[in-house]
Amino acid sequence: MRIIKKGQISIASVCMVVGFLLALQFRMTEDMRATIPYQRIEELSDRLLSVEKERDALLKEVANLSSRLGGETETVLKQRAGLTPMKGEGVIIRMDDSKQNSRAGENQNLYIIHDDDILRVINELRAAGAEAVSINGQRLIGTSEVRCAGPTISVNNVRSSTPFEIRAIGKGKDLENALKMRGGVAETLKVWGIQMEITVSDAVYVPPYRGVIRFNYAKVAEEE
Amino acid sequence: MALPIIGLILGLILGTLCPILIPIAYSKLFSVAILVSLDAIFGGLRAAANNKFENVVFITGFFSNALMATLLVYIGDRLGIDLYYVALLAFGFRIFKNLASLRRHYIRKSMHSPTVEEKSTLNEVVE
Repeated sequence: MRIIKKGQISIASVCMVVGFLLALQFRMTEDMRATIPYQRIEELSDRLLSVEKERDALLKEVANLSSRLGGETETVLKQRAGLTPMKGEGVIIRMDDSKQNSRAGENQNLYIIHDDDILRVINELRAAGAEAVSINGQRLIGTSEVRCAGPTISVNNVRSSTPFEIRAIGKGKDLENALKMRGGVAETLKVWGIQMEITVSDAVYVPPYRGVIRFNYAKVAEEE
Repeated sequence: MALPIIGLILGLILGTLCPILIPIAYSKLFSVAILVSLDAIFGGLRAAANNKFENVVFITGFFSNALMATLLVYIGDRLGIDLYYVALLAFGFRIFKNLASLRRHYIRKSMHSPTVEEKSTLNEVVE
């Protein structure tokens, strides 16, 4: 141990160097670790700020545009366009494919619901004064289509299959009678056994149109 | 044993209070320097335990090792060869070897006084 004492001073000085280096290295790595997330935070906060500015500008624009449009006319237009949910007296019609077995030699297609069956029903409902119509939750608006898409029917480019539920708001009795009149839609479909169940209700809910209305080709023009 | 520990603490304090920060690019050189110093400390302790300690050998060994290792890393960096790992491996290996012989020495000493035979196995020149 006495000889260790002899070397203690030099060993101690080297120890000091080690401590110095260790502390420096530790601080260096600590610094590195601290700066990278810090830079990221700065970058993110910058982006947040710019996005917030953009959002505020857009909100202002929206407020500006809607104030120019006038609050009341806007809601009326939205209702007309089918962008608001509606509720009122009307009918709910459930339609399903026929359960009868087709007779030999007869066309199988006659026993299942086609787009034209549904179109006839809707045409009849509109003729009887239906104000809002939806098919399987898809609101019918000016550009809506009813079209066969394989075994399904596409409405507003959303496909759905049987059973179909058509909801219509209007004078309940009128709508029902329009469908059930002699020689009408209900009777012709009944021949093929296609199921059609009409219920009149005081509170029929019709959902709004949820898609986007965009004019790619049509442009506003002067009246000719 | 108190003086080296005091030195270490003093060094740590100095390092934390040092106003200069080394750029990250030099961190490789620094880690090698730390290893060299650690190697010197363990080598010195082992030599001292074997009654072989010589101040001049210790100091020159420390400086030459530090210089050589740093030079090696620097040249390796310039040449695109990672000589850094060579230095790390060599010094790491030596640290563990010295530590092991130190440990054995103290265990033997605490159990019984070392015989002449055992002494001779420990008597390897460190530097």
